[in-house]
Amino acid sequence: MDLPIYYTRAEYIETDTGNKVSRRATISGPQNIILGGKTIIASGAIIRGDLRRTGPGHAVVISLGRYCLIGEGCVMRPPYKTYRGNFNYYPMKIGDHVHIGANSIVEAATIGNHVEIGKNCIIGKFTIIKDCAKIADNTVIPPNTVVPALALFAGSPGRFVEDLPESTPEMVEAQTKQYYTRFQPLPQER
Amino acid sequence: MPPIRDKFTIHSKAVVCQDVELKGDITIGAGKPPMPLPSGPIVIGSGCIIEEGAIIVNRRKEVMRIGDDNLFEIGCRVESPTVGNCNTVCTRARVHHTLRMSSYCVIGAGVLVVPTEDEMLDDYTTIYGPSAERRIWSGRGKVQEMDLRRKHAEYLREMLPKFNRLRRGDGT
Repeated sequence: MDLPIYYTRAEYIETDTGNKVSRRATISGPQNIILGGKTIIASGAIIRGDLRRTGPGHAVVISLGRYCLIGEGCVMRPPYKTYRGNFNYYPMKIGDHVHIGANSIVEAATIGNHVEIGKNCIIGKFTIIKDCAKIADNTVIPPNTVVPALALFAGSPGRFVEDLPESTPEMVEAQTKQYYTRFQPLPQER
Repeated sequence: MPPIRDKFTIHSKAVVCQDVELKGDITIGAGKPPMPLPSGPIVIGSGCIIEEGAIIVNRRKEVMRIGDDNLFEIGCRVESPTVGNCNTVCTRARVHHTLRMSSYCVIGAGVLVVPTEDEMLDDYTTIYGPSAERRIWSGRGKVQEMDLRRKHAEYLREMLPKFNRLRRGDGT
């Protein structure tokens, strides 16, 4: 197994379900954000839960699955549009085992399970990323793109490069689980 | 360079979040700018939307004027000495101080625009792609686009104060 990634205990808040959220992340409207458990939100990330759908009652803005990672300096923001003359933000749904690299900007509508997004990516509004897809580093995905399952996308604008092997879900699952176990507080603080 | 004197004039209808770094002489009209980081005299018109991590810098001594209804998306950097009305600077685009923008220009996502000599963009110019190619927008869908922008600004004016701490506007 790889070496552990240490963090100082003072910097991260750990919830009962094992989510680790950095105190240096900006999270607005936390009542509208759902974390599935064992999800890591690194420092400097911005998650906008305040941009919610108008209307009465409770609205989920961003939901993240299990074993997700939001890298340093990421911006997660729900997409917006006008529909039948009404302006609204629309919820963003992210599946399990999704890793998002550092400094990426995500305004997707849906991201499936086992998706890997590289560093410095720009994911446009209302993008749909299907299961087990991979977005290479520095990719710019234009708005309203649909990334099919088991595809690798790269470039600006992001284009299909190659198919990924069918073993991808198992590989990504193992990788994300391992990352979570590697991510632990410094030994002297335990 | 003399030290920058801080002087802010924020319109009573503008919404400015508390985490915004403001430096120097800045005038903000009715609208919503969250999180810019300017330095030097900057005048921002009404109905502008400035998103997370956007950086607006004035590199020159004269006043930097930004018109009305502009949209500066996440992580963009704008140093243009003049910006007209209804422009869009997309996510993580960078505009150098030698470029002036007129109206209805669009700078695409991640584009870097560095003209070596001073240049004024024509109305409806669109810059896009990794090699910063240019085209002229036909203007189709302009009304819808502006309608969306206006409604967006209206929505943010209503929703942002509910979830974020704001800077108080003292001037008019």
